[in-house]
Amino acid sequence: MFKLLSNVWNQFREYLVLITLVIISLSLLTQNNNPQIQKVRAVAFGSFATVTSLFYDLFNITQLKNENKVLRKLNAEMMIHLSMLREYGILNRELKGMLGFKDTTSLPIIPGNIVSKSLSITQNTITINVGTNEGIKPGMPVISYRGLVGIIQTCSENFSIARTLKNVDLKLTVKNETKRLNGIMKWNGEKLVIVDVPRTYDFDVGDRIVTSEISSIIPVPIPVGIVSNIEEDKTGLLNLIQITAFEEVLSVENIFILMIVENDEKNNLELNFYNRQ
Amino acid sequence: MKLKYFIALFVFIPVVLIQLTLIPLISIQGVVPNLLLITVVYFSISNGQIFGTLTGALYGLLFDLISGNLVGSNMLSNTVAGFVAGYFSGETRRDKYLYTYSFTLVVLMSALVNAMIFSFFSVMDFNTNFFQALFNHALLPAIYTAIVSILVVVVPYKRAFN
Repeated sequence: MFKLLSNVWNQFREYLVLITLVIISLSLLTQNNNPQIQKVRAVAFGSFATVTSLFYDLFNITQLKNENKVLRKLNAEMMIHLSMLREYGILNRELKGMLGFKDTTSLPIIPGNIVSKSLSITQNTITINVGTNEGIKPGMPVISYRGLVGIIQTCSENFSIARTLKNVDLKLTVKNETKRLNGIMKWNGEKLVIVDVPRTYDFDVGDRIVTSEISSIIPVPIPVGIVSNIEEDKTGLLNLIQITAFEEVLSVENIFILMIVENDEKNNLELNFYNRQ
Repeated sequence: MKLKYFIALFVFIPVVLIQLTLIPLISIQGVVPNLLLITVVYFSISNGQIFGTLTGALYGLLFDLISGNLVGSNMLSNTVAGFVAGYFSGETRRDKYLYTYSFTLVVLMSALVNAMIFSFFSVMDFNTNFFQALFNHALLPAIYTAIVSILVVVVPYKRAFN
């Protein structure tokens, strides 16, 4: 028996090693949401991100000059926008006061830097130099001054990993800002698209897309992009709306984390409502 | 424990650092070369098929853990890529495939296998045209990886012996 096994091992050991490792990989793929795997991942990327951030900073210095130039121009533009917004704010407060609406609170944001990027066509992720010590939690939106960049996926004490818009695992409820039409947006490996949109929905090229307040991930409207193309899907019954994101996630460096996670109380209330039906 | 196992582990750290920090700077439309794969192919040809398969699995698993990818996706694709590259290993074939332009072809082949498996587990969208997906997700990254392999393995070696 031992001789037989020994013969099999000697003849097929390469294949046996391959099969064993493939089985281990496949079982790990099914265990991605296991809390223990999440814990191991948080420790692993937290430790490694410390080294990566030092390395990244060294090469980042050369880009600062160009970035400063762009930021100065942007600063001037923002100043003009700000003065306009102040005007609108005054008017808005006045009108809300007249209508007796409760004022909305301002949203807290935390600045962060990207310390590493894992780029692949389907699963783009970024590592950010803020973590649970700063109050970051999975599910918080990552934004830049142009718009949405992604969503926090995992956190360690000092670092976080975020799924960017160009990640097939990130699916978001978005809406057409002007026409108030909702849809599910995702990255299909090539394009950012709103899928399964009825052909009766009135989307036009150039429409602004923002996150929808009915989203269970991001409940505030954050700019995402503009409609760049509308095409029929293969069934001919639905449209596929192509989006060009405001932020190019491959080149973004300075980001902010919006310190909100969709309200558990609201989710539970909605869930209980549906459970009663 | 043999020195080669330690070398494989030590090499992983600088390679993954470059992959996560410098390589994004040379991305073309989101397509980046895969330095980890080039390293796995190198180890596979120089140390044999089993070593290559194990190195692929270890590199893939570690990369999945530190990059936020689906745990197991890179492990699976790198394991198979290391196994494929191992076919070009052997006492007589080693020098023929390791420091010549044939290395690029082996990298291209392994990168194609790697990218196809990785894409299969990350984009299971059957609405996408299969051949277009194959071109975008597998062929382009594989070609880019193969070109970079010339720069990091073949050219330095040739220079050293000229």
